Amino acid sequence: MGEFRRRLNMLLHRGRFQRELDEEMRLHLELRRQQQIASGLTPEAAHRSAQRRFGNMTRIKEKSHMAWGWDWLETLLQDAGHGLRSMLRTPAITVVALTSLALGIGANTAIFSFLDAMLLRSLPVRDPQQLVKLGIEDWGGITDSFACTELYSYPFYRQFQRKNAVFSDTAAVFSMMNSVHGFVDDRQESQLIHVQTVSGTYFQTLGVGAQMGRVLNDADDSSEGDHPVLVISDGFWKRTFGADPSVLNHKLKLGNVVYDIVGVAPAEFFGTKVGEAPDAWAPLSMADVIPPGWGNYKANFSESLYILGRLKPGVTMQQATANANVLFPQILRGFPDAKPTQENIADLARAHVALKSMASGVSDLRRPYSEPLMVLMVIVGLVLLIACANIANLLLARSTARARELAVRQALGASRSRIIRQLLTESMMLALAGGALGIAFAAAANRMLLGMISRGSDTVPLDVSLNLRLLAFTFAVTVCTALLFGTLPALRATRLQLVENLKSGRGASAAGRSPLAKILVVSQVALSLVLMVAACLFLRTLVNLNRVDAGFNKENVLRLDIDSDITGYKDDDLRLKLLFKQIEDRVNALPGVKAASFSAFTFGEGSWNSHIRVPGMPVNRNVDVDHNIIGNRYFSTMQIPILAGRAFDSQDTATSQRVAIISEHVARTLFPAGSPIGRTYFIGSDEKMVIGVARDVKLHGLDRPAGYIDYLPYTQREWGFGDFEVRYSGDFSSIATEVQRAIHAVDRRLPITHVMTLDAQVASSFANQTIIAELSVFFGLMAVFLSCIGLYGLMSYLVGRRTGEIGIRMALGANRAEVAWQVLREIGLLVLAGIVIGLPLTLSGIRLVRNMLYGLSGTDPLSLMAATALLLFAGMAAGYLPARRASRVDPVVALRDE
Amino acid sequence: MAALIRQKSDADIDRDEIPPGTLYLLILKTLAVGGRLHGYEIAESIQNCSDEVLQVEEGSLYPALQRMLIKGWVTAEWGVTAGNRRARYYTLTPDGEKQLGIEVSQFQRVMGAISRIIQTA
Repeated sequence: MGEFRRRLNMLLHRGRFQRELDEEMRLHLELRRQQQIASGLTPEAAHRSAQRRFGNMTRIKEKSHMAWGWDWLETLLQDAGHGLRSMLRTPAITVVALTSLALGIGANTAIFSFLDAMLLRSLPVRDPQQLVKLGIEDWGGITDSFACTELYSYPFYRQFQRKNAVFSDTAAVFSMMNSVHGFVDDRQESQLIHVQTVSGTYFQTLGVGAQMGRVLNDADDSSEGDHPVLVISDGFWKRTFGADPSVLNHKLKLGNVVYDIVGVAPAEFFGTKVGEAPDAWAPLSMADVIPPGWGNYKANFSESLYILGRLKPGVTMQQATANANVLFPQILRGFPDAKPTQENIADLARAHVALKSMASGVSDLRRPYSEPLMVLMVIVGLVLLIACANIANLLLARSTARARELAVRQALGASRSRIIRQLLTESMMLALAGGALGIAFAAAANRMLLGMISRGSDTVPLDVSLNLRLLAFTFAVTVCTALLFGTLPALRATRLQLVENLKSGRGASAAGRSPLAKILVVSQVALSLVLMVAACLFLRTLVNLNRVDAGFNKENVLRLDIDSDITGYKDDDLRLKLLFKQIEDRVNALPGVKAASFSAFTFGEGSWNSHIRVPGMPVNRNVDVDHNIIGNRYFSTMQIPILAGRAFDSQDTATSQRVAIISEHVARTLFPAGSPIGRTYFIGSDEKMVIGVARDVKLHGLDRPAGYIDYLPYTQREWGFGDFEVRYSGDFSSIATEVQRAIHAVDRRLPITHVMTLDAQVASSFANQTIIAELSVFFGLMAVFLSCIGLYGLMSYLVGRRTGEIGIRMALGANRAEVAWQVLREIGLLVLAGIVIGLPLTLSGIRLVRNMLYGLSGTDPLSLMAATALLLFAGMAAGYLPARRASRVDPVVALRDE
Repeated sequence: MAALIRQKSDADIDRDEIPPGTLYLLILKTLAVGGRLHGYEIAESIQNCSDEVLQVEEGSLYPALQRMLIKGWVTAEWGVTAGNRRARYYTLTPDGEKQLGIEVSQFQRVMGAISRIIQTA
């Protein structure tokens, strides 16, 4: 330690140390000279003798200097300075290299930060690797199916908690988040609050404490409905309360209940679902009274919870799985209201509870995005490789131009390793500068990507900000990049051909240099082909998805969400129905509105589904019919044709005959032959009469077939609505304002969210495909562009070198077109070679992304042809300038130069 | 290019190079005996004590002294010579004394081994 301090001291005061050393060496020489004179030598001989006995002054100074151990640093600084100067000397190369590096490294950083945040990062809880979850699918919802191994009821959780032998702690989390418009203290304005209901053991199981107050405990969850307490998130505390230290004295009103804020969760804690950020956590005991009132605290067969556990020390995943599978049938059969049918028993016998690690939580983002992200990671990796090849080529060209300088330095005694080190330092500087720019680029790209995966204006709360892990990744990428593009040129540049290089200013013979450069360019073209074909495939997939007929007309429809829970009316309250009708009537009367209607669902919002029973037909238990509850003008709003019978109208009231409209598909497959109009069927025990058949529409995703759907009028079925659709003509934003004003004229409390076009909502269902299409096209074009720069650089260099040869050929009678053609032909051959090598690569690469394509065969010939044509065209464009330069060579000038 | 011709001066006395690796030992011992010395005095002392047999390339003392300063075996301070010149004086530190012991025993071990080989003739 002391030694390092002394070294550092010397580094900081090296000027003084140097002077002192000089002084004491001068004194030494002087004393020796005097001593020699005293022993009888002439002053001149004494001087020589003193010098001789002292030794080589310069070398000794150098050695003393090196003794301080900082020479590496000085060399580095020297090299860095040299590198900076040579970067500035060739600004065009530097700009191209830096831009491609910044984009390449930045894109890698950005995509990796999403991969990290979405898939890799552990939850900020105690020992996350000990946490497991029952069930692997991460469903969200409520089901009443028997023997469900993904979602569990509250009574099941309690029994499991008591009976299991493998978990030290067990917790339950509701599989969905409640989005409630609530009130802070006595404020009049409602505010959207995302509430996650959890068991009282949740925080203890995760090992998360409160930064203020307390977390929830088991007592908060001991009896239904009488524990109005909330733990709020750090973000909510800061946003809503301005980080008020007396926040624990404040209250929140959700629905009809006023809650005490008992604690604030730690800043880094966001729950257990990546991509969601609850504002508050409430005990499951309150789930039934928190809007929209999903809870079912005492029902044994209303399954809606995830069960989490912390493995006891030494318990393996296998042991835990075995224990869970022993308990699962035992608990279910033990419920007093369990009256399993024959089929239920068969289901139970088949059921297997699979466990998965909760170390990185669950996430709804993983299903749609994990594959696209990995594909994108490969794509940006390839782009970076292409960029590296490009820079390697540029450096190669430059080092050839510098061959004479390097040869001179080597002739003067610089060692090869020293020069390689210097060239690598230059590469490293380039890479580090590119990396720094890349991080800035990544920050911007992250914001853009977050916007792309978010629905509407609510940004997905995903933490993709810069962190140490990310910086380490970027740094590693940067260093690898520098080594990749710097090593070959450095080795090549220092391969000694001293005599030749010194003789001719033109550097090494062309033959010695171009094969390597050509290999680099050809591999660039090959990789570009892979990327370009992928881009074409994803783009065509996107086009196909956009062309899919959803069954309804998504153009010119405005949609928005209304939170009717804020009224405090129950779902079957007649005042609620009246409110809906008033809103529909008022909006329908607006100029520019053609039709408007409420509905339970429109598209890509999940569903409520169940089996139906049609008298005279066997019940198909594999078929769930999606039930949509709608207003009278829903079909005209969505422009879904009624194929038989009629739509709902004013004659369908709360007291009239229970009616339903079914989709074509339901009519065809679940009803007996003949017209279904006038027939009845059962949803549970409710009997409905079919009054119409509607055209099939897609409800869940454009790439899925239209499913089984029936429609019920909201006058006859309790439902608190969200979705409101308006078919309009004219300007979207003015209609949007008018519609919101009309809704607030009916009830000014009603919170309105997610105002957008239906088109945008449908598009958000394939946001993942949009992202991968847009980004792959961007990176594909970038790859082609980089390859073109590579081709251009190589051909310009070759043309430059062959000026003499071209001059001779022209002098011998070759015309300009022939010369130009020769250059173009050479480029064409390079591109073709790249394509031939790239094709098998492409074909095997496509196989990996086949299930991400829609409406295409994996080896889509059109995409292959388009990509090939684009590459050839781009290659020719890149060759145009060098070819023209070749054709303009003046034989007289060229030959004089020789 | 002019050829470099090495001139052998008649003033050169026949001296032996010091064995490699013993420079530290010599400097440490000299300082241990002589106390506070500057560079020239150290060189003189080594040559005198060895009866002019050992030849130290005098300049090579200085890199060695720099290294010893870093290692903390010696400290340096500026003082004034008898001839009223400014000079840097070196003194042994406790660490340096310890190192001297190590160097001496190491040297004796090596020398002992070598002399044993020589004597088995």
